[in-house]
Amino acid sequence: MSYVLVGVDTGGTFTDLVLLYAGTFKVHKVLSTPEDPSQAILQGLGELGILQTFDVLVHGSTVATNAVLEHKGVATGLITTAGFRDILEIGRQARPKLYSLQAQKVEPLVPRELRVEVIERLNERGEVLLELDEASLTAALERLQSAAVEAVAISLLFSFTNPAHEQRVAELAQQAGFYTSVSSQILPEFREYERTSTTVLNAYIGPLIARYLERLEQELPSHTTLRIMQSNGGSISSGTARSEAARTLLSGPAAGVVGAVYVAQASGFEQAISFDIGGTSTDVALINGAATETTDGMVGGYPSKLPMIDIHTVGAGGGSIAWFDTGGALRVGPRSAGASPGPAAYGLGGHEATVTDANVVLGRLIPEAFLGGAMTLDLQAAHLAVQLIATRLQTTPEEAALGIIRVVNANMEGAIRVISVERGCDPRSFTLVAFGGAGPLHACELAAALRIPRVLVPTVPGVLSALGTLVADTLKDYVRTVMLTSEQAQEVVTTVLQDLEQQGRQDLQAEGIAAEDVRIERYLDLRYVGQSYELRIPFVQKIEQAVRDFHAAHEQRFGYNDPAERVQVVNVRLKARGLTHKPEPQHQQASTDQRLIPLSQRQVVFAGSTGAVATYETPVYERANLVAETTLAGPAIIVQYDTTTVLPPDWQGYVDQVGNLILERREEQ
Amino acid sequence: MSETTHVTPISLEILRSALTALAEEIGTVLMLSSYSPNIKERRDFSCALFDIQGRLIAQAAHIPVHLGAMPDSVAAALASFDSFAPGDLIALNDPFLGGSHLPDITLISPIFVELAGDERLIGFAANRAHHSDVGGMSPGSMPLASEIYQEGLIIPPIKLWDAGQLNQPLLALLLRNVRTPEERRGDLTAQVAANRTAIRRMQELVERWSLPILEEHVEALIAYAQRITRASIEKIPDGTYSFEDYLDDDGMSAEAVKIAVRVTVYESDLTVDFSGSSPQVRGNINTVAAIARSAAYYAVRCLLPEDAPMNHGTFAPVTVIAPEGTVVNARPPAGVAQGNVETSQRITDTIFGALAQALPELIAAAGQGTMNNLTAGGIDPRSQQPFAYYETMGGGMGAGPECDGMSGVHVHMSNTLNTPVEAFEYAYPMRITRYQLRDDSGGHGLHRGGDGLIREISFEVPTDVTLLSERRRFVPYGLQGGEPGQRGENRLIHDGQESSLPGKIHFRAAPGDRLSIASPGGGGWGKPATLIDKD
Repeated sequence: MSYVLVGVDTGGTFTDLVLLYAGTFKVHKVLSTPEDPSQAILQGLGELGILQTFDVLVHGSTVATNAVLEHKGVATGLITTAGFRDILEIGRQARPKLYSLQAQKVEPLVPRELRVEVIERLNERGEVLLELDEASLTAALERLQSAAVEAVAISLLFSFTNPAHEQRVAELAQQAGFYTSVSSQILPEFREYERTSTTVLNAYIGPLIARYLERLEQELPSHTTLRIMQSNGGSISSGTARSEAARTLLSGPAAGVVGAVYVAQASGFEQAISFDIGGTSTDVALINGAATETTDGMVGGYPSKLPMIDIHTVGAGGGSIAWFDTGGALRVGPRSAGASPGPAAYGLGGHEATVTDANVVLGRLIPEAFLGGAMTLDLQAAHLAVQLIATRLQTTPEEAALGIIRVVNANMEGAIRVISVERGCDPRSFTLVAFGGAGPLHACELAAALRIPRVLVPTVPGVLSALGTLVADTLKDYVRTVMLTSEQAQEVVTTVLQDLEQQGRQDLQAEGIAAEDVRIERYLDLRYVGQSYELRIPFVQKIEQAVRDFHAAHEQRFGYNDPAERVQVVNVRLKARGLTHKPEPQHQQASTDQRLIPLSQRQVVFAGSTGAVATYETPVYERANLVAETTLAGPAIIVQYDTTTVLPPDWQGYVDQVGNLILERREEQ
Repeated sequence: MSETTHVTPISLEILRSALTALAEEIGTVLMLSSYSPNIKERRDFSCALFDIQGRLIAQAAHIPVHLGAMPDSVAAALASFDSFAPGDLIALNDPFLGGSHLPDITLISPIFVELAGDERLIGFAANRAHHSDVGGMSPGSMPLASEIYQEGLIIPPIKLWDAGQLNQPLLALLLRNVRTPEERRGDLTAQVAANRTAIRRMQELVERWSLPILEEHVEALIAYAQRITRASIEKIPDGTYSFEDYLDDDGMSAEAVKIAVRVTVYESDLTVDFSGSSPQVRGNINTVAAIARSAAYYAVRCLLPEDAPMNHGTFAPVTVIAPEGTVVNARPPAGVAQGNVETSQRITDTIFGALAQALPELIAAAGQGTMNNLTAGGIDPRSQQPFAYYETMGGGMGAGPECDGMSGVHVHMSNTLNTPVEAFEYAYPMRITRYQLRDDSGGHGLHRGGDGLIREISFEVPTDVTLLSERRRFVPYGLQGGEPGQRGENRLIHDGQESSLPGKIHFRAAPGDRLSIASPGGGGWGKPATLIDKD
């Protein structure tokens, strides 16, 4: 008897479900229900006929993200060390825009009157300089009670060196009935503003997530298990998500990258760049064996230092609008036509040229095959919109459309450079995994510009996030600041790692992970004494080895190192991973009939070798007809329900054993 | 466009975004790998690219006080050497020879590409970073001084690397003259790495675009930037607008120091004339002309579209007149350390005061108008090594026609980050005992000025302290009926006794002493909606 697993990704428009049963995937989409996202999920499960029979549901949720972006979290209070309640508002004291006389900072999630202080103070060694004054604590809690806050964030200076004061504050706050979020539990790491911000985020959304998950669980059969995706690309139980809600803030995009890792590895590629174009933005992430992580994330302008997959976003997507600036350059985005009115081609009243309109004019998007024919694109409206740009450029609509594509590709190219070249990785050894509605439309030309040799288009490019939730491991992250020079650190690091490992194994056991499926990964955040940006280095047993690796990593990242310089161990990190039994990639039968019959032929415009417009008679293929070992020569267009793949003239492609479409630049003659 | 040009609105945009990204990337390398808190945490640095004539072709927006100032550095390098070789690296900090103030060390690298077997010079990469100490009379090299020789080590344009060879004796000489040589070495290394990245990326760009086409586009990009600036200046009504404001004092005497400005707009040209400003003074609040220009450029930059390109063309329509021998264009050996950080703020205030007459519905009231510079140094008992700390502090931003001013931020010429309390206490034998917003310090008005900050520091060991701050006497002005922001205050608590400190002071703090700095609030904008009639 096989397990029934279902992965769900709640998006703005669609809720995607991917069902895995007996080694077979099934994809289903329903319209999202933003008021109560669980309704769409239940509807989807019902339509799949598995509402009563599934075993595990893994959920990528936008509830937390939206609550932060729309400032709809719960009334939250903050308790800090006396003298420091404004840390949350002061932040790093920088203004958001350098050259604006009217800029505004984001409003702190806890207003000033709900930020209260307790008298206490620790030093950097965890020694008590001032005992916790209980009277000040009682007064603080009374104040928050009279203000009727629901959640309380607790962040005292240097609490990560000695959590006793925070624990006492939390104890009384819980007794007073507050949902509490404690900095020494959520993020025992130095730098008070970022720690406080993370702790506040967790308090602000915690009760909301708890209620949402409760509601959803009530509707699900009692034998089922609900798991939640985290921003770090792993899942956790819904119980953990309730107390550590901040870990789920970017779960949807993270799941997409996890999906990209899975499909790339299924085709044998360990180094990949995930490339997801949506309507208003493009997300890119570097995959070097595994997805790259960061602890410098931001959500809605609020820092979160919890580990998350390092996704770089630029404001360039299918709906991005083309315009001329006062200097006369052609610009594309960041303003977007959004879903309404949308690109001119949607025929909903948009009249400005967008990237989608350019793709229509070039013949790359097929009006009658858009969204599997569910929507017909207005060719004439797209032409009219692009004609406005062409007139300014004194050229043809085709030239103008190519120009729009080149400009938006340059923006996306910049995004990929940030996560690859700037991090010391050469894109020429990576595979571009293209997904999202428009990723496969732009991928080959972009790959050519970056000299990326290969593009991979998965079988289900529209639901990669939902797929990602299914294959994600259970993942728990732990950190502790130690701040020691490397010569003094061995013993402390070993002890701390033992503590963290014990904690990790315990937590994974509570998540229902069998001991043999547990994998422990250890890291140190290292820097030269005096620096303030740390590099994360895998740790095996010996500090000396980690230090040697650090010198090498510093050289790769910054172009220099200094082996004579002293190295400081800032943080100790541990990842406890509970392996998910990933479905074996399904090997496809090769077609016996090698002749591939196009659906149709059409005129598609590409840039010729000199950059000039060239029109090609181009076959259009249905993706479902492309089975293993099928080969294709560019130019070609491949259509499927929710995306269109463009294979330019100097490219060729094939379908590999697991059904992924692999596109490669033809060898130069 | 002519028949032969390769430049189109499309290719122009593609190069613009490539060059902007390039400058940002160089900045990232410098920021993340440097040692000084000033660079890594506080982003007191800039990176720029120049063509072979020394014209700016791209600069990342990191700190406004460096705007348009680095072309002077490249010009000084070009004037000092007859020729360059691959692997050369010129260092300088001389304010009177291409620099700004001594802590700002600028490194310039010629960029060569190989063309048909020849190494050909195509331009320069430069970056400038504020170092925590360059010697001189007090730790942190932001002293209260009366001549430049007291302020630190002066580096005229020198080849620190000559054709790939580090000049070791020269570096040894530099490092022997500063208090924290290891940190200096680390920062210089990060600066060198940033220039190397710039060189590599420019070589890739040449490879991709080919030199003639790239050069043609750079020319077009300079013209493009100029068009954008002219379009913005044209929106300002023609006329001459005058304004005066004062610095509290020069730290040596109690006399106020005047900054006078006349801004003249004619069609798409704008002239900023500082004639009538005070003659240069004994205390080191003087600036070199480069700083007066940066302040003027900054004010104009605020009127441009947010993503306007930064190159030689951007400020071509702007003329700055700074008469020699005045406080805004001092002659050597005047001290200039505070000119960058304090006088530059007042210059900006006066320019905006003038522009507010032309653009009353656009210009915001005065912000805190100071950077509240604090330097502290001594011996750290934990390591027995000297420490040198320098930090500046935010305050209130002026309110504008659309919204209140922000609280607790740096205004105008600076945007450096604070040092986290926990990072500060790991690094120095001092503690921060209070860090909060300063209630009700912003000027009232239809829109309120932002509030200042209060930061209180206690000293654990005997510490040399220099405090350089402004707006302790003259308040940040309000506009269109808004009230001024509150002036700043400095206090020392010694043996339980609290006393007021002057705006600019050097003293030795004893263990247990507490220094409290309250930064000014921003000016208000517009008459308060509910006017309480005081008459």
